Amino acid sequence: MTQAEIKLCSLLLQEHFGEIVEKIGVHLIRTGSQPLRVIAHDTGTSLDQVKKALCVLIQHNLVIYQVHKRGVVEYEAQCSRVLRMLRYPRYIYTAKTLYSDTGELIVEELLLNGKMTMSAVVKKVADRLTETMEDGKTMDYAEVSNTFVRLADTHFVQRCPWVPATENSDPGPPPPAPILVISEKDMYLVPKLSLIGKGKRRRSSDEDAAGEPKAKRPKHSTDNKEPIPDDGIYWQANLDRFHQHFRDQAIVSAVANRMDQTSSEIVRTMLRMSEITTPSTAPFTQPLSSNEIFRSLPVGYNISKQVLDQYLTLLADDPLEFVGKSGDSGGGMYVINLHKALGSLATATLESVVQERFGSRCARIFRLVLQKKHLEQKQVEDFAMIPAKEAKDMLYKMLSGNFISLQEIPKTPDHAPSRTFYLYTVNILSAARMLLHRCYKASTRKVSEGGSHHCIYAGYRCRGGTAPRNRGDDHSP
Amino acid sequence: MAGNKGRGRAAYTFNIEAVGFGRGEKLPDVVLKPPPLFPDTDYKPVPLKAGEGEDYMLALKQELRETMKRMPYYMETPEEKQDIERYSKRYMKVYKEEWIPDWRRLPREMMPRKKCKKGPKSEKAKDTGKGASLANTADVLKKIEELEKRGDGEKSDEENEEKEGSKEKSKEGDEEEDDDAAEQEEYDEEEQEEENDYINSYFEDGDDFGADSDDNMDEATY
Repeated sequence: MTQAEIKLCSLLLQEHFGEIVEKIGVHLIRTGSQPLRVIAHDTGTSLDQVKKALCVLIQHNLVIYQVHKRGVVEYEAQCSRVLRMLRYPRYIYTAKTLYSDTGELIVEELLLNGKMTMSAVVKKVADRLTETMEDGKTMDYAEVSNTFVRLADTHFVQRCPWVPATENSDPGPPPPAPILVISEKDMYLVPKLSLIGKGKRRRSSDEDAAGEPKAKRPKHSTDNKEPIPDDGIYWQANLDRFHQHFRDQAIVSAVANRMDQTSSEIVRTMLRMSEITTPSTAPFTQPLSSNEIFRSLPVGYNISKQVLDQYLTLLADDPLEFVGKSGDSGGGMYVINLHKALGSLATATLESVVQERFGSRCARIFRLVLQKKHLEQKQVEDFAMIPAKEAKDMLYKMLSGNFISLQEIPKTPDHAPSRTFYLYTVNILSAARMLLHRCYKASTRKVSEGGSHHCIYAGYRCRGGTAPRNRGDDHSP
Repeated sequence: MAGNKGRGRAAYTFNIEAVGFGRGEKLPDVVLKPPPLFPDTDYKPVPLKAGEGEDYMLALKQELRETMKRMPYYMETPEEKQDIERYSKRYMKVYKEEWIPDWRRLPREMMPRKKCKKGPKSEKAKDTGKGASLANTADVLKKIEELEKRGDGEKSDEENEEKEGSKEKSKEGDEEEDDDAAEQEEYDEEEQEEENDYINSYFEDGDDFGADSDDNMDEATY
């Protein structure tokens, strides 16, 4: 993890959980996997506080534990997951656009609390919705449950791994830490609950009480221990699914910008059809036949089959290669090349960054080097039709900004500089990573200043483009 | 380096023309300091994307920040003890909902353990099944302190003996923790003691340390 990322994690943890949790979290991110007492010793905090902090971090899926040999439990922080905290507003807003206020509040509660049982979520969300409704109206639990089930069906929320209910056949000591498992098919299985009730409106008198009456409330909440029907079944927000949704949105809007509204609708339909069938890291979606696409088009679109076929052919022939043709059965089998699409998006982001930072002539040189892969100094001047001095200057500016790199090709084994070719090239992956790193740095500055949060969204735009590209190429989410 | 000033000054090890400078051309000056912190840019940044969605997300972010601070997961840093307890402090405390994690999902060492052997409450603490009946750590600590102050004189002897006798095997003891659940409390004391070399009773109750000495009996106690 780079220093900028660690700093950003530290700020995020401090903002959300306080200084103690921040100290423990950052220590774990820096040093990797450690047992409990080593953490307490190295950070100089009391064992009790370390335990509390770890409980909070584990609850929010930021730290995982593993049992090593000799019964030692080690804790490991997940830096990338901490960085996702920047995107919480975006996840909540997405849920709002897809499932309206109910969905928005469900996702918000799950993100704020890390893990929750379904009954707890439904109750809380119903209470919150009831408060915003007019007097006399209440939100029914059934409606909230329905939205929850829909979220689970589309994989936006998933079950957390749980302790398997094993009959304790071995009379030995209980393990130092429970081993949590989850199977693929159970991940989105909603338990059969009959949640009957309505949301309760919180009375205004409770808000004012700051003295003794409030002291009694915590005890009161632990007193009504009705048996929870889905005890032990916790749900969490499935962040990968949200990322998949963002990726789909980016591809659809790219197609809309490049071609027209209808083609973007076709691409959106294709992506929707492969939402659940295609794993999120696949290089391309499952092949879809033209007939299937025709049947799944949204109701409002009255295009004939031939027009659809023409559009598909056009999309497949486009040099950007978002859509590819994989066969001819069923009227033509089409796939969406996810990795290629994300790569093109990342490249486009890089080009636009170069243009905004250095000017359009630099951007021309940049696009040229991208296209031709490797170019010598002289060739750059010739192809770009820019005078030598300016071309030199621009190349060096981009070189020092790490957008372009030099590739040495020696002619002789002694690598003598006078007999070596120096070629300019663009390494897209490393340039994208550099840009991502810059975004994190900018976010750090903005988060620490606490001033305008706008730049955090500037970071979103960048990260949205480059992060999937990194995922795609590294094959690691 | 200084010796080469006279000879070989104009000779480079590589073909200077390959890099683009003509022979004998004046080269740019060597830069001897880091680039400026805020250099002038010819191209100003593009305005941020602002729209209904972005405004909503901005409002959400600010709301989330406030909400997070009120959640039970936000751990306040414990304040230093002040000499005089202010009257208004009692009434300005913000009461937060308590949060009790599901102990079944966490490693066993996460559970707060009672320090003292005395008191019936310590047995409840060992019972892993009844997660809900476990008191909050803050209450636990308060009770520990109270009980410690009460049984301080008796305990210090026990602790000393235990500490010296079992310091060697404390390391092994920790690894065999899971082997003997009944000895949790003993090991817990060793854990606490391992952290420093000082005997717990001396420095924990700093207030009582001087007051207990009866050496200066000439002064009347009021």
